[in-house]
Amino acid sequence: MPLPRPVQEFDAVRTWFQGLREQWGEDPRDWDQFVQALAAFCAFVDKDPDTMIEECVRRSDSGMRIRAKGRRFYNDKIAEWQISLPGDRPAQARAGNAVRSFLIHNGIFLQSGIQT
Amino acid sequence: MEFKQVVGRRRSIRFFEPDRKVEREKIQTILEAARLASCAVNAQWLRAIVVERDKLPKEKLDQLKTPVAALTLDMAPLHIYFFCDLGVVNRIKGERLRELVDVGALAPTHGWSHKFVDDLVYPHILKPMTENLQGYLTAAAADCGGAAHMALLTAVDEGLGACLNTPNPGLVKGVFGVPDDWVPLWVLLVGYPAESWEAGGQRPRPPFEELYFEGEYGTPFKRDEKVVESLKEAGMIQAPAPLPGRREEIRKLAERFGLPL
Repeated sequence: MPLPRPVQEFDAVRTWFQGLREQWGEDPRDWDQFVQALAAFCAFVDKDPDTMIEECVRRSDSGMRIRAKGRRFYNDKIAEWQISLPGDRPAQARAGNAVRSFLIHNGIFLQSGIQT
Repeated sequence: MEFKQVVGRRRSIRFFEPDRKVEREKIQTILEAARLASCAVNAQWLRAIVVERDKLPKEKLDQLKTPVAALTLDMAPLHIYFFCDLGVVNRIKGERLRELVDVGALAPTHGWSHKFVDDLVYPHILKPMTENLQGYLTAAAADCGGAAHMALLTAVDEGLGACLNTPNPGLVKGVFGVPDDWVPLWVLLVGYPAESWEAGGQRPRPPFEELYFEGEYGTPFKRDEKVVESLKEAGMIQAPAPLPGRREEIRKLAERFGLPL
């Protein structure tokens, strides 16, 4: 199902953008490609960006915690998605890493392996 | 390397040259240092399983990886898994403490005797200590921490990069089939750094006077700036992070290894 509004307009995407800016001290160089990759991944899992983050966290009065099951699901889905993409392995990894970056800057700690 | 430089140059290295192996003699040197660490009652709780990453079957390496610890295990060519052998005290029953009396490390000058060690220490001090698991584990693990840090500093002295990491305890026990009474502690990841040895500079620490006191709680141990200057000259206190160019260094490493930013 298509997203109801442009991917940049979701809160989690704004958080991602802000995180990238704080981390690197400048606007992301490949922002357009990042956003395109995230939008394609959203279509792959049929979820919007905010929902993806909500499925990776558990919120309570004591604050936010990572939901391991949700994180593992998306970690596995990113790996599955990126190898389905056209292009060489580095290009696939760049796309997968855009989505990982989105999760990471929303507080979802995760690591990929080396992708060379 | 001078000791103060070893302390000053140590960083938690997180980017390793994945294909550059660590020489076997360096691995042994690291373990020899751990073995010589100070140890309460000479029990020697620390155990280690040395694993060359490429010799670990893929399915086992994959089992050790989790979404939060995949990259570091992939990058470091050498893993040293540390465990705390909680069973050791009840196996040796004070025997190694007796050795300390035999060799004159523990002497009557400080109240030690064979009689005390043989008849009193194990049944009345050590064995009861093992029955209070929480306290026992805390003490034994703290002891292991000292030994693990000897290993860590030795890796630095050998020109290597190293980082202590916490593996998933259940997975580690299963993968390596260790005895039930071994408690997984840390994995020391070792290899040649792919990042510069400065790794962005010496890490931020809380102010000295917030951490250390003199005579009583609340009276800070005053830091003498002359000592600070001499430690800077000796290389123990170094330029703090972030060093110029660190962001660019991380970008290049990310590009080289295909990592997210």
